[in-house]
Amino acid sequence: MKMFSISHKTAFVVDHCPYMAESCRQQVEFDMLTKNRPQGVIPLAPVSKSLWTCAVECSMEYCRILYDIYPTRKLVNFIVSDSEFHILNSWNQADQSTQELMAALAAVGPPNPHEDPECCSILHGLMAAVESLCKITEYQHEARTTLMDKADRVSNRGRIICITNAKSDTHVRMLEDYVQETIQEQNKLAISSDRLMQIQQCELVLIHTYPFGEETLVSDRPKKEISPVLTSEVHSVRAGRHLASKLNILVQQHFDLASTTITNIPMKEEQHANTSANYDVELLHHRDAHMEFIKSGDLHPAGSTSRDSGLKETVTLKWCTPRTNSVELHFCTGAYRISPVDVNSRPSSCLTNFLLNGRSVLLEQPRKSGSKVISHMLSSHGGEIFLHVLNCTRSTLEDPPSISEGCGGRVTDYRITDFGEFMRENRLTPFPDVQGSEVAGKVPLERAKRQLERHTRYWPMIISQTTIFNMQAVVPLASLIVKESLTEEDVLTCQKTIYNLVDMERKNDPLPISTVGTRGKGPKRDEQYRIMWNELETLVRTHMGSSERHQRVLDCVLACRSKPPEEEDRKKRGRKREDREDKGEKNGKDSESERSWQESERLKAALERDREELAEAEVIKDSPDSPEPLNKKPRLEVEDVQPAEKAKGPVSLLTMWTNRINTANSRKHQEFAGRVNSVNNKAELYQHLKDENGMDPHENGKAMR
Amino acid sequence: MPTVVLMDVSLSMTRPVQLDGTEEFQRKNLAVHGLTMLFEHMATNYRLEFTALVAFSSLWELMVPFTRDYNTLQEALNNLEDYDKTCLEPALQGVSNIVQQEWGSTCPCQVVLVTDGSLGIGRGSLRHSLSTIKHRSEDKKFPLPFPFPAKLYIMCIANAEELQNSDTLDNLEQLLSLNGGEGQIFTVEGPLCLKNVQSLFGKLIDQAYTPFHAVLRCGNLSSDVQVFPRPEPVIMDEEVDPAPRTILTDLEIVGFIEIGDISSPPVLSRHLVLPIAVNKGFLGPTFMGTGTTDETEEENSANQMAGKSPNFCVLLHGSLKVEGMVALVQLGPEWYGMLYSQADSKKKSNLMMSLFEPGPEPLPWLGKVSQLGPTSDAKENPYGEDDSKSPFPLQPKSKRSYAQNVTVWIKPSGLQTDVQKILRNARKLPEKTQTFYKELNRLRKAALAFGFWDLLKGVADLLERECTLLPDTAHPDAAFQLSHAAQQLKLASTGDSQYAAFDHNITPMLTDFSGSGSSDRDRM
Repeated sequence: MKMFSISHKTAFVVDHCPYMAESCRQQVEFDMLTKNRPQGVIPLAPVSKSLWTCAVECSMEYCRILYDIYPTRKLVNFIVSDSEFHILNSWNQADQSTQELMAALAAVGPPNPHEDPECCSILHGLMAAVESLCKITEYQHEARTTLMDKADRVSNRGRIICITNAKSDTHVRMLEDYVQETIQEQNKLAISSDRLMQIQQCELVLIHTYPFGEETLVSDRPKKEISPVLTSEVHSVRAGRHLASKLNILVQQHFDLASTTITNIPMKEEQHANTSANYDVELLHHRDAHMEFIKSGDLHPAGSTSRDSGLKETVTLKWCTPRTNSVELHFCTGAYRISPVDVNSRPSSCLTNFLLNGRSVLLEQPRKSGSKVISHMLSSHGGEIFLHVLNCTRSTLEDPPSISEGCGGRVTDYRITDFGEFMRENRLTPFPDVQGSEVAGKVPLERAKRQLERHTRYWPMIISQTTIFNMQAVVPLASLIVKESLTEEDVLTCQKTIYNLVDMERKNDPLPISTVGTRGKGPKRDEQYRIMWNELETLVRTHMGSSERHQRVLDCVLACRSKPPEEEDRKKRGRKREDREDKGEKNGKDSESERSWQESERLKAALERDREELAEAEVIKDSPDSPEPLNKKPRLEVEDVQPAEKAKGPVSLLTMWTNRINTANSRKHQEFAGRVNSVNNKAELYQHLKDENGMDPHENGKAMR
Repeated sequence: MPTVVLMDVSLSMTRPVQLDGTEEFQRKNLAVHGLTMLFEHMATNYRLEFTALVAFSSLWELMVPFTRDYNTLQEALNNLEDYDKTCLEPALQGVSNIVQQEWGSTCPCQVVLVTDGSLGIGRGSLRHSLSTIKHRSEDKKFPLPFPFPAKLYIMCIANAEELQNSDTLDNLEQLLSLNGGEGQIFTVEGPLCLKNVQSLFGKLIDQAYTPFHAVLRCGNLSSDVQVFPRPEPVIMDEEVDPAPRTILTDLEIVGFIEIGDISSPPVLSRHLVLPIAVNKGFLGPTFMGTGTTDETEEENSANQMAGKSPNFCVLLHGSLKVEGMVALVQLGPEWYGMLYSQADSKKKSNLMMSLFEPGPEPLPWLGKVSQLGPTSDAKENPYGEDDSKSPFPLQPKSKRSYAQNVTVWIKPSGLQTDVQKILRNARKLPEKTQTFYKELNRLRKAALAFGFWDLLKGVADLLERECTLLPDTAHPDAAFQLSHAAQQLKLASTGDSQYAAFDHNITPMLTDFSGSGSSDRDRM
């Protein structure tokens, strides 16, 4: 794919000389008989378009299709030529619309039949077209500026479409030579200018048009190389609908378009509102939408010629009764803008309005075998209609392993709903492109990334890893603290949340501490609060650097948590909390994950102690459901860091470590059958002797496993 | 990317290889050895790849259709028989047909051709095929380039020195260039022996079958993942930006969008995103097994361990599925993709990543991706307080022709319809005064742009005649408006700049009756 191919720039040159005012000699009845018309009225004489009118309306149609399918990057410069040239627009994207061109054409008006033909010539326009092709477009300029020293990669190619009435083949040759000479001259000038570029390739399309019923004086000629820079082709066509279909074919050739006819469109009849008839609508779009047909050689030859454009093929796709599928994500390999061939016809506008109202239509590919294959979808996005190409062959990703079979797939208590909420908060929205927004920190997407970073500084993935995020009471603080900046009011809300927690603690309200994998009641209430406060501190601490107000929230947490649990602590375990508090502050942010790790360890130790109190028979040291201590850490980065501080829990580090190693080891070997079946660590030998079936004890053990 | 292994089983493959001291090998044995190594690698590290085995000599045969069962492939490989001469062209045609039948013509494929480099003599030889390539009729075209995007890897069980004695390398290179240069020729370095054949296939594995590992991040949350199939480099504009783009191994989520808003976007390719447990010293996805049961106990327990530790991918997948959203992910500079939950028919679902076309604005309805920012930055929530609104799709700057009631008179019916509309409204004056003038002005504008002044005169005549045909019961305002409109059109048709300005609109004539006219409208 090349951005600066020949089709980047199209210069239209339309002859405005006196002979173009001649009638095309095809009459249009405009005074049609209607049923409620009084009898005996003689219809008005039909009107006839001039050669000029035909040329202009056909070139407008060319532009309409072009702009529908390529709203940007494919540019038209419209030039009119009589005794001088009139340039109707520029290469600027802002000037690229049919309305602009229509307004400019109205200002020019039809050719004046009384002007001196000697003064008038298409040559003025051709010269202007060549000059114009040398002018740099916004896109070329931008590409050259970004590429800097590789600016020469940006090419300058273009096409001139000239609609005129030539006198003879010799006259045509003269026009070609003139264009060739002008290119040479202009290329010389272009060398020394920043705003001009040399033309590397130019395609001249000369269209000779003449009234109906006249003999043509110019013969058709396929594309021929005039010089390495210039190729030229000649089309000789009668004005009116012949010219229109010629330009329709050309626009398809020039911009790699193809045609699809949507068939079987059910449409309400105007007269009989409750019946519907089936209609066809022909659409143009980029030919890549037919890639699968082209490659498989499956372009249906039967009935594939379009009614209107004669020579061009069209692919027929069948309308499938639409179903609402806006929330379905189709595997779509391409989406191409469309333009209806007959934009104003009733079937066309019915179809386009249906789509513009937000509905999608699936299209079915008629297959000889009779099987139903949905290969395309028509859908509008923001007032533009696209033909989506759906993948309809076998997928190489079929039968993939389910996510539940992989890493983390056995974990069942993910915070799915919370993360859903997180995703909603981190939805994206478009911001207007303001100049100067490149300044760091202002690019919206960079801000989005920074918000994600802030929101995930402390984000436990599973429910049993967290207490605070399971507490409704913490929500106000948790949603505010992740903000980039806090207002005074926000700080106040946070503080209120914290006081509320203190209040809960005083009242000894229960906390939603996870008891997954534990038997019994779980940790004691004061333990629970300590875990909760630690977690809250961890959360707030990750944000303390954001602003002075964030720091104040942390201060509040530290101030509120220190007293009550401390007293309890002293009473119960006679430990010195101050040490820890000091240490914690010194270590600052870096130690927070460690601390939470220790807390989890402590929790685990507590759980284990509780378990020991349970019946002796319960030998479930490592229930498969209990989370591994290692994985309790919210962040993976600190994995290798060993706890710097000696744990102050009831279990020594050695014990913890040994337990962990034992746990890990126990998973790696198959437990002795005897031990598995033992009662109070005593296994009865030669059980099978008692067993009537005489079952092998080893097998027995295996079956138990 | 499915793989077709195209194995040469011609007689020349049975040529013995001189090896001092050890048992005698045929080239075929070496080729089988190399392919065994490839299959073993795929079975452990690339298990989702579909592979087919085709054997060829003067005829070709599909030994194993596309499968992920590498045992079957291996078995078929071990039982290959020896046949006659090498005819590559029909075999390549066969590959082309097999791939198209199975995957269509858009799915990229890899073809691994294993041969000893003696490509036949006379008719049916590659040399003969290539020399006649320009004189083919449409139905007997050379199978290359393949209709689908394909990489052709040619594994020569021969070393470069021995190939240099013939034109084999030239012919093979021509084959590659016919395939658009996509692929590579590998030859054995040093003497033909098991070790050197291993390194030959090792190079192919490095080139084409190394799993793509990356880290998926969302802020501080992350997961090690394998992306399958490997994302291939993409060239966007061979002229302005000819360097192929590859995706980063650091995939950063930039935000989230509703499925309805992203609305079935076109994608370059789709990939499974499989979480892997790298830091456990266990490389590769833990669950690629499809039928193989001979995994070691150790592997099993490692799998169980990995299965039990929370993984960000699983969390992300679960929430994307529940919320009906996609995550927008950055793949490189100005290159984006989306992550979503994909369910197959068997109630299994997976985290999938689709790649958009590289560029700052891959989807017109999202606008420039760099301009997408957090909703908290907006003055008011663009999704509404109750999620009833959406900032997407973005409206384009200009409307398309089908959305703006353009005038096209190329077919007479277009013109007739427009005139009929004016007449229909003219008969319902003064109630339809507004519509009448709206339609009239639309026609006037188009006629002026097209220089179609005769039509203006014609319609003026038509309106004057309507005026004379008004029934006695008609509202007196109707006659005034009709003759006013006719007069204005006539003036415009002179081209007089005062009356023929494009932006000028004919406005209703102010009459004593207009008041009552408007109240009539109000009553309707």
